[in-house]
Amino acid sequence: MERLKECAQGERMTVLMSLALDGMLDSSDRQRLEEHMKTCVACRTEWQAMAKVAALFEESPAVGPPLGFAVRVERRLEDQAKKKRRTFGGLAVATGSLSLIGATVAAVLILVLGIAAWRWFDTSPSLQQGTQTVTQVASGVGLMGKGASLFLGDLLLRYGAPLVLVLGVGLLVLLGVWAWLLVKRPGGTHHNGFA
Amino acid sequence: MDQERAWIEQALQGDRTAFGHLVRAYERPVYNLTYRMLGNATEAEDAAQETFLRAYSKLATYQPHRKFVNWLLSIASHHCIDRLRRRGRAPQLSLDGPLPPLWTVSDKPRPDEVASQNEQRERVREVLDTLPSEYRAAVVLRYWHGMSYQEIADTMDTTESAIKSRLHRARRMMARELQAA
Repeated sequence: MERLKECAQGERMTVLMSLALDGMLDSSDRQRLEEHMKTCVACRTEWQAMAKVAALFEESPAVGPPLGFAVRVERRLEDQAKKKRRTFGGLAVATGSLSLIGATVAAVLILVLGIAAWRWFDTSPSLQQGTQTVTQVASGVGLMGKGASLFLGDLLLRYGAPLVLVLGVGLLVLLGVWAWLLVKRPGGTHHNGFA
Repeated sequence: MDQERAWIEQALQGDRTAFGHLVRAYERPVYNLTYRMLGNATEAEDAAQETFLRAYSKLATYQPHRKFVNWLLSIASHHCIDRLRRRGRAPQLSLDGPLPPLWTVSDKPRPDEVASQNEQRERVREVLDTLPSEYRAAVVLRYWHGMSYQEIADTMDTTESAIKSRLHRARRMMARELQAA
């Protein structure tokens, strides 16, 4: 390479050499290169080194993977699919859990607040003697609470047992799924061929 | 070719067995590329596996006018270039690591032949290691996969003149390495 600096046409000639090695040199350029190399030692040395590298590569056969490669790829694909299914399943379960918890909390809050508002209105004479607006608002809240409490109370009295059963079973199923997701996480084993 | 198209269609429907046929059909060129790029059998296997996993997940983006093997080699070369960049240095030469089998093993080679082949493979690896990752990919695709300049350019998402220049510079660098040795 150092010697190539001695040749003013070195850069141009090596471009031709590279094309020649790929069989992409036309006859006029080939002739130009050959003529140049007859008199230029630096370029001749460069050409020999380039040709030597090309010969080394051409003699070196392509290599194939170790046995069982395809099977290992198939296993990783399967693991990946399982992982995806579990992720989507986990998201569905999380959404379901949050909805169930939210609905339960909302129902309990309505029941408790409704009863409280109802009792408060009934046992507060000062409120009943207040201004007309305050009285109307308090009366509305009290009636709403009373209505909600009566509705939920009636629902619990009529269908209490099946509701509690469904809620219990739902919670058990969700707990089971959560435990499975946390304990049996995918990707515990790697199939990189050398396991 | 029709069989290949059928496997691709089936794999697109989620048939992993059909994709397994594609893996068996093209495991050799893909592995050869990753091995030549990374210079290490263990890492080459991992990169080749990763190539097929990516191909499976991106199969819907494959355009049938392209050769399927070239599409796979494109994924593999980009993945190897990324790995080499992350590595930030030339690949570690793990002489203790297993050497991959040759494609053309007819009879059991004699011990001296094995030694000579291993020596040759080491030499190839040393020469390739002197190249930046983009140059290395161009050289491997040219010599071991017989691609034209245009095919290499398509595979590496660049221009034909860029490939011509990379091959020229790579050859000069490798010649320098050989002269220095």
